[in-house]
Amino acid sequence: MSIDIIVAGVGGQGSILASHIIAEAAILADSGSRKNGKKAVNVRVGETFGAAMRGGAVASHVRIGDDVYGPLVGKGQADMVLALEPLEGLRIGVQYIADGGIAILNREGFAPVDVKIGAARYPSIEQITKALERLGASPVVFDATSLAIEAGTAKAMNVVMLGAASASGVLPFDESIMLEAVKNRVPKKFLDVNVEAFRLGKEVYAGSKPGMSQQGKKQNA
Amino acid sequence: MSAILQESGKKVLLMGNEAIARGAVEAGIQLIAAYPGTPASEVCEALIDAADDSDYYIEWSTNEKVAFEVAAGASIVGARAMTAMKNAGLNVAMDTYMTLPYGGVKGGMVIVVADDPNAHYSSTEQDTRFLAVYAELPCFEPMDQQEAKDMTRDAFEISEQLELPVFVRSVSRISHASGDVTLGPVQKKRNTVAFNKHYKLPYRWNVYGAPGAVSKHEWLKGVFPKARRIANKSRYNSLELVNGSKVGVISSGVAASYSREAVSRLGIEDRVSFLKLGIVYPLPDELLGRLLIGLDALIVVEEGDPVVEQLVRSYAKENACGVRIFGKSYNQIFKPFGEINTDIVSKAIAGVMDITIPDDPRESVRKKVSEIVAPRSSTLCAGCSHLGSYWALKKALKAHQGVHIINGDIGCYEQGGYGLFASKTDVNDKNSKKYPVLSPYEILDTIYVMGSGIGLAQGQAQVGYKGGKVVAVAGDSTFIHATLPALVNAVYQKADITFLIFDNRWTAMTGHQVNPNTGLDTLGRKARVFDIAGVVKSMGVESVSTADAYNLEEAENEISNALAFEGPSVVILKGECMLQVLRRAKKKKTETWVDEETCTGCRQCIQLGCPAVTFNKEKKKAGIDEINCTDCGLCEQVCPYSAIKVGGKHK
Repeated sequence: MSIDIIVAGVGGQGSILASHIIAEAAILADSGSRKNGKKAVNVRVGETFGAAMRGGAVASHVRIGDDVYGPLVGKGQADMVLALEPLEGLRIGVQYIADGGIAILNREGFAPVDVKIGAARYPSIEQITKALERLGASPVVFDATSLAIEAGTAKAMNVVMLGAASASGVLPFDESIMLEAVKNRVPKKFLDVNVEAFRLGKEVYAGSKPGMSQQGKKQNA
Repeated sequence: MSAILQESGKKVLLMGNEAIARGAVEAGIQLIAAYPGTPASEVCEALIDAADDSDYYIEWSTNEKVAFEVAAGASIVGARAMTAMKNAGLNVAMDTYMTLPYGGVKGGMVIVVADDPNAHYSSTEQDTRFLAVYAELPCFEPMDQQEAKDMTRDAFEISEQLELPVFVRSVSRISHASGDVTLGPVQKKRNTVAFNKHYKLPYRWNVYGAPGAVSKHEWLKGVFPKARRIANKSRYNSLELVNGSKVGVISSGVAASYSREAVSRLGIEDRVSFLKLGIVYPLPDELLGRLLIGLDALIVVEEGDPVVEQLVRSYAKENACGVRIFGKSYNQIFKPFGEINTDIVSKAIAGVMDITIPDDPRESVRKKVSEIVAPRSSTLCAGCSHLGSYWALKKALKAHQGVHIINGDIGCYEQGGYGLFASKTDVNDKNSKKYPVLSPYEILDTIYVMGSGIGLAQGQAQVGYKGGKVVAVAGDSTFIHATLPALVNAVYQKADITFLIFDNRWTAMTGHQVNPNTGLDTLGRKARVFDIAGVVKSMGVESVSTADAYNLEEAENEISNALAFEGPSVVILKGECMLQVLRRAKKKKTETWVDEETCTGCRQCIQLGCPAVTFNKEKKKAGIDEINCTDCGLCEQVCPYSAIKVGGKHK
């Protein structure tokens, strides 16, 4: 049994931190359940980064499961794509999302230089969600950046997304464990902001706060 | 507290490079020296983070050869020492690397090399395991982060047992991936630092010492059987025999992870015998022999070149002639380039075993949907000083007729040769080079490895190329790492070239490491700043000038003077890495703006190549991306109509 998640975004948005938080939560959850004699899970994060330039596409693969060894999600096997940027969500979704997988997208786009100079077109949010639906996925879109600003800083957008992810029911551990991992990993100075960001993301996904577009929304998938 | 100093027994998430660093800490490392190189840099970085709470010596050296020698020197006097580098780094260290094994080492010495299959961050996909075999060193290959840690720790022990350096070969998918790692105890004991000129061998540390190099080579050959015994017994090599199976899989390193997953995905655990290799050289011949008995087919799965495959073929030729071997050379089931993954391995194994994998019915949808996915080209950062340097170079070259050759080098500025994914290039001989190039991302003509640009430039000039100007560029860290002998050569041979040094003070591309030009040492303390201009002058270069990369007029003038000079000329273009500037001084609200009344839509500013300059096709007007703009002022200087302004919008 394994759960495969890909966090997609643009360099500087915090997608790698977000993926490490999910992975850490999985380790925390495992250490907890091991006391009850369960089989140990392996956790892997495969990431592509290196060059220090900002603005490049970043995809961070998180794999959790007792039969997981390699760091990369197989083609068409991602149970969830968590897209901090919608075009990157589509780029990763096309290759990786599973039939029946869930795609959570931040609405705010970040145009690549190719689009800025007029050499390429940025697809509309509707085109993106429609494409993901054609791939058999359930896309949900909301404005995570605004919620992060509401929480205190736009930089907490990745944590808003984690809140939404933990409310989706796809992850193999409790929201409380994810929150613990968030607290372990974010800078102490921004702890309260991030806790709030997490809450807002969770609530908007669960529907107790408006802002989530309903297309194809699937709860507790 | 540093991630790699957490308490023993804890299960934590570590990046492969951090795991390697932790392994060194557990082994009681005493010295580490390295030069940054993706994907290996974080080994040294993690140990720098932990240095305040530890007692080892650590340095960013000026290049990999120096780093290798620093580590070797420490090992000769008995200390445990490590160096870590990227694939290409080993090429730089090669001379000493090949010679040190003649006589070996005393304190445990571990050489970590991170290869980069698929060339994510590298000039080549070179497989350095060949070089472990070449130098006759034991070669470890971890399958995950846990093994990366454990192997590094054990490599020090084995190095001391064999008195040879031990090679740990990582790959991007180990070094730059993370996994759960259970931490082990940290050894408190340190090796004694002492010197013994004739330690177990006459003139141990001197290959020429009597009775000479051949006797040292004989000693080295004598170590091999001991190393093979270790490989046969190592817990990192494991054989799982399935009774009566006709198919075997041998898989090493990260490929073993893919192979395990593939075997379980195909549901053939009870049909194939599996030899997982963690020590690939020497090959564990006993285990291999037991695997081969009764097999019809053997599948070799490895990341990189067919290194294990060739060793296996050579063994099988003598010991199991009937087995058909599949891999990357004969009976090719894998492409001999690019990287592999679980999908690829599954398909390859399924092919050999006649198993059908159903096609994903969504493949045609994928093709269709892909069409709307806009590319995201790599660019220099907003406000990067290299944008100014390239602009000034382009303008200065315009005064000269012909086809100029711009030799690039390795660093952020190498993006001057990447091109833009979305732009169409007219690729043919006739049209291969014409000025003005459309963006700074098309300006570089040659890029190979660190320091190669200035050497190539000299060959072009010396053989009589008169079709245009011959230029080379290199960053400050590269200047120190690999261009000094070449520049002396240019002076000595009177080469008519212009050499531009892009001085941004940091080794930026690999993650902003310090170098002698930064003004800080490895641990962040104040240090003397290397005097690039002084060194260039003292080498005898007669035309040396310095310009501000953010002052386009000044930069263009200095480059023009240098181009006009006959003989070697150097211009140092200064502009600190903008990301570092922004780290110190928090970004303020952007004051750069476009006066749309004045903007004619000429797109000159777009040609600057700054990712913060935008263009609205419908309105035919330039714009500024306020999130990314750093108010560096380059686009303001570039605009021929003064439509881009810094400040004054709301007055």
